[in-house]
Amino acid sequence: MRTDVLHAVRLARVDLALVGRNTTVLFNVLLMPLLLAAVYTSFPTGDIAGIDGELFVLTGVPGLMLAFAVFINLVNSFTARREELVLKRLRGGQPSAAAVMAGSGLSALALFLFQVLLLGVWVHRSEGVLPANVPMIVVAAALGVAVFGLIAAAFSGLTPNAEMAQITVLPVLLVMMVAAPIAFPAEVLPGPLAVISGLLPVTPIVEMMRTGFLGADHFSDGGEKLTMIEQWVAALPSIGILLAWVAIGAVLARWLFRWEPRHS
Amino acid sequence: MIFPMRTRQLADATGAGSAGLENVIEVGGLRQKYGDFEAVRGVSFTVPRGEVFALLGTNGAGKTTTMEVLEGYTPATDGTVRVLGLDPIRQQRQLRPRMGIMLQEGGFLGDLTVAETVDLWKGMSEDAGRPVTLSGSTELPGGFTLMGTRIRRVDRATMGALELVGLEKKARVKVKQLSGGQKRRLDLALAVLGSPEVLFLDEPTTGMDPEARRTTWKVVENLRDAGTTVLLTTHYLEEAERLADRLAIMHEGRIHTHGTVEEVVATSGDMITFRLPGTSWTFGDLPALDGVPPVLTYAGGGTEVGYTLTGADTATRAHAALRPLMTWADAHGETLERLAVRRGTLEDVFMRIVGEAGL
Repeated sequence: MRTDVLHAVRLARVDLALVGRNTTVLFNVLLMPLLLAAVYTSFPTGDIAGIDGELFVLTGVPGLMLAFAVFINLVNSFTARREELVLKRLRGGQPSAAAVMAGSGLSALALFLFQVLLLGVWVHRSEGVLPANVPMIVVAAALGVAVFGLIAAAFSGLTPNAEMAQITVLPVLLVMMVAAPIAFPAEVLPGPLAVISGLLPVTPIVEMMRTGFLGADHFSDGGEKLTMIEQWVAALPSIGILLAWVAIGAVLARWLFRWEPRHS
Repeated sequence: MIFPMRTRQLADATGAGSAGLENVIEVGGLRQKYGDFEAVRGVSFTVPRGEVFALLGTNGAGKTTTMEVLEGYTPATDGTVRVLGLDPIRQQRQLRPRMGIMLQEGGFLGDLTVAETVDLWKGMSEDAGRPVTLSGSTELPGGFTLMGTRIRRVDRATMGALELVGLEKKARVKVKQLSGGQKRRLDLALAVLGSPEVLFLDEPTTGMDPEARRTTWKVVENLRDAGTTVLLTTHYLEEAERLADRLAIMHEGRIHTHGTVEEVVATSGDMITFRLPGTSWTFGDLPALDGVPPVLTYAGGGTEVGYTLTGADTATRAHAALRPLMTWADAHGETLERLAVRRGTLEDVFMRIVGEAGL
């Protein structure tokens, strides 16, 4: 266990160094969600769910970051590394399978948290709001990386090569951008869609993030201020949904993930 | 957990439980299927501690598949496999720190430098409780920034690993800029970094220039002398002859012959060849030697005659066969042109197996 943790941290550090050396990844992973956030917030909106529209949208942006910095990034990296036999080599070396996966997850978590930090600065400068519940933001980020890391592992198994990754990620990306309550609350979706949106893993993450930033109830349409304890109680159903998704993701990853290219 | 009873039985069953030697690798009745294709069809062998064992064969013979089962990449379809007395899949955690693997190709992070790659592997080896004891003659300073990239110090242990395989001048080159042969050398450095007790080398010198090949052989020999057990696959017969204490020739998923190089070569027999003028000679004109009939081929207006002697007495069979041949030549008033007697080679055995099995 201790060895696994040491290996995962070591691999995550190398991962981050490599992100810094790859302009394409740097752009896709770090810049893209921030650019999208700028686009999303450039439309004039009135109040949404009882708060300023721009603030509402900005606090939903972690949903986009999750799609780019975690999901797309990991599908790309798992696929490319499998095809280049890096995964095979790592698995034949000292680290266990769990350590290799955890290393990728940790580096994605670091990137994601770094982006949320940048977002926090943005929110503070433009709206004068400081995050109300940082632990909830961190828990949401960790659960988000767990769920989407596992789903990314599964999707990489469906992706024959790194070029195709641009296409295989699209369905998930579209669902994340359209159905998640980033620019509007889930409740405005027509009945069944609202229910489906609520069950998707991205929705509880966005709602936890928003609640964490604003200290108000954004799990329902209410938006009223909550105490710290009330925030956690209100978050319980979301955490439950995410834990269920971790289990689903683990099953999918176990089924679809591949360590080596298919034999020709 | 080691199961001594089972280990002993297996060693006896495969007939290689050499007295007092612990078998580091044990393979019994291994079968490996991919869908309908059976890549390995019942392979058994053992490798005692400190021995270099070579699996020889053409592409597709099942060498790499056998290796991958031993390395814990794929579970065996059928049969028993033990490395250091452990199951390569179920006891991977205990086994992994004690073994080194050199794969057939690639698998590096191209944007890392050579030194960073070694550092990563070194770190992971240390994390797993296998400190790297290599020490180079020098270290490279770091702590400054060059063209926007932070240059890190390269320590003696890392330099030691690079010096071992002759890559010390490439420490700061990105892996993706290395040639094929240089990548193989880096691969070797990574495989031997943690002083493994058992080392798997899959076609280690493919793509290397002659000098790098010699360096690699030296590395393997030094490790063997230090007690490392080595299993290597190769299709260079010369490499097997030079390195292997024992070898097995695989073809189409089976081991066709195995033993020391001497033993295997002895099975190829001694060759007697000569030429007779004219093309009117037939099979029946020539004597059988030691019960072996001649093989005749007609070329350039003459008849090439060859015998392959496979008699049990390997030391005297060639001498014994020459006497009746000379008597025959005298009786017929013929001169045996370009008469040659030579011992068989590994290549003869190899070609016979590959040919017999229908290639």
